[in-house]
Amino acid sequence: MTTYKRKPTKAEVRRERLEEVVLYPLDWLEERSGLIGGIRYFLFRNVPSDINWMQTLGSAALTAFLVQAITGVILAMYYTPSAATDPHTGQPVAWESIDNITNHLTMGWLVRGMHKWGASVFIILMFLHMGRVFLFGAYKYPRELNWIVGVLILVMGLMEGFTGYLLPWDQTAYWASVVGINLNGTAPFLGPWLAQFLRSGQEISGETLTRFYSLHMLLIPGAIIGLITLHLYLVIRLGVTSPPWSKEAAGIEPSENGSGPLRPGLTRPVPRGAAAQADGGSK
Amino acid sequence: MAAVQKEKPTRVEEQRAEFAQYKADVKKRGKPFYPYAMFHDTIMSLVVVVVIIALAAIWKWSSYGPHHDPTQSGLLGPSMGAPADPGTTSFVPRPDWYFYFLFYLLRIFKWPESVFLGTIGVPTICLVLLILLPFLDRRRERRPSARPVAMVAGVLTILSMGVLTYKGATANEALASEVKADVPHWIAVENLPPEAHPGAELFATSGCTACHTYAGAGGSNLGAPDLTDIGSRNLGIQFQINHLKCPSCVNPGSPMPKFASLGEERLHQLAVFLEASKGTH
Repeated sequence: MTTYKRKPTKAEVRRERLEEVVLYPLDWLEERSGLIGGIRYFLFRNVPSDINWMQTLGSAALTAFLVQAITGVILAMYYTPSAATDPHTGQPVAWESIDNITNHLTMGWLVRGMHKWGASVFIILMFLHMGRVFLFGAYKYPRELNWIVGVLILVMGLMEGFTGYLLPWDQTAYWASVVGINLNGTAPFLGPWLAQFLRSGQEISGETLTRFYSLHMLLIPGAIIGLITLHLYLVIRLGVTSPPWSKEAAGIEPSENGSGPLRPGLTRPVPRGAAAQADGGSK
Repeated sequence: MAAVQKEKPTRVEEQRAEFAQYKADVKKRGKPFYPYAMFHDTIMSLVVVVVIIALAAIWKWSSYGPHHDPTQSGLLGPSMGAPADPGTTSFVPRPDWYFYFLFYLLRIFKWPESVFLGTIGVPTICLVLLILLPFLDRRRERRPSARPVAMVAGVLTILSMGVLTYKGATANEALASEVKADVPHWIAVENLPPEAHPGAELFATSGCTACHTYAGAGGSNLGAPDLTDIGSRNLGIQFQINHLKCPSCVNPGSPMPKFASLGEERLHQLAVFLEASKGTH
């Protein structure tokens, strides 16, 4: 609370009360959860001052995933995962519900189109993000674990592509999945079991469709959300790498007087033993 | 206390010192995530959403045919395919484009000796190498110019995946209507007897050539063998029928779908045709 040397004016009193009203719920939440402090740390933590446009690819992939999540929830409201034949039209129910979404539902084509094409964009962005991490050598100590988490997210994303492809229940989807599942079955030991699990029996059928639907919208997305949370936690904990050619923060820095030799930094490794000699005298 | 000159620091000690230096540098000379980095992230995210909406719009409105036919193909393909029909086997088993590199990999390995390498072997090895990358490349050096091996490996990986994806995208699609026109040619070069002619017609229209090659026609996809001279192996009519009904029962691990839905009569015709195919001379 501000202390005034003179009697505060009415406007100042009003302003102060307003501030209290706004801050009260935030303070309440902070006292009980520490969430506000966490968000403040997330927003105002320092990142290297010379980060690159290429380093937006991770958040771009996250955005694509969020588009998939939102459009997926909307599609699930109108899609029916049934291979049964509609007695009135003679068409499979699942295919009909996709037809309804695409051609009759208001803006349905947009939601389905965004989900269909967002999948490709998500996969492309994950690959580009991985390429950037590789180029920057950002998978090195201490970020090895985060690289592995990222690879797992990529694999899960491809599994989303595989399971989602069957859901429109059209000819391409059906036969690509028949062969795709058979190919999984060629793996030694686990292969036949895996193929049987995916098909939910000896033949691809309506049960395969419901199984793929469940995997596609419950199990795999749940795993991806968990992995993305871990991925972001590790990014925030370990910090963002600066580009390897960086001359700025966390890179190389001119010595105090500006003319001497460069102080070895993260991007230009110290020769073995040199670091210990440099600070050996002070200990 | 006199300074004790340490032995050469271990790799772990150097890594830790370097990371501590990085943390200190970022704290001292970095800039806050909000608004600087977040500004870039927000712009990029908006671009992503706009691109996705644009793709959806192009996909829908370029395929919006004169009769509102849902299977009409636009710039980005049809908005719907024909409904799934387990009884119609004239299909092209084509995955989504980001699986084309795996799809095309199967053309390189042939059934039955090495197809396992294409389906499971090579992809598994690549995935394991990808996961283990931080433990294979343990140098601290991050500048691309000083990591020639990593850069060459990276470029080769991108090139090979790009080539496989392109090859998969442009892979020869043997449409039943086009293959059917080849049947008289097959009869001539294979010297097929008249009783094998209905089977040849069936072979062309049942989608067999989506994967198999026959006398130069067909896809040779997914590791499927060339059937031009399958009859010279003298496997027998009954074997051919059993195989068509349930390929994986006869050849364990075969990824070929079951064709039992064709019915006994047509399966017999197909078997006669296959047994009569002694190769082109």
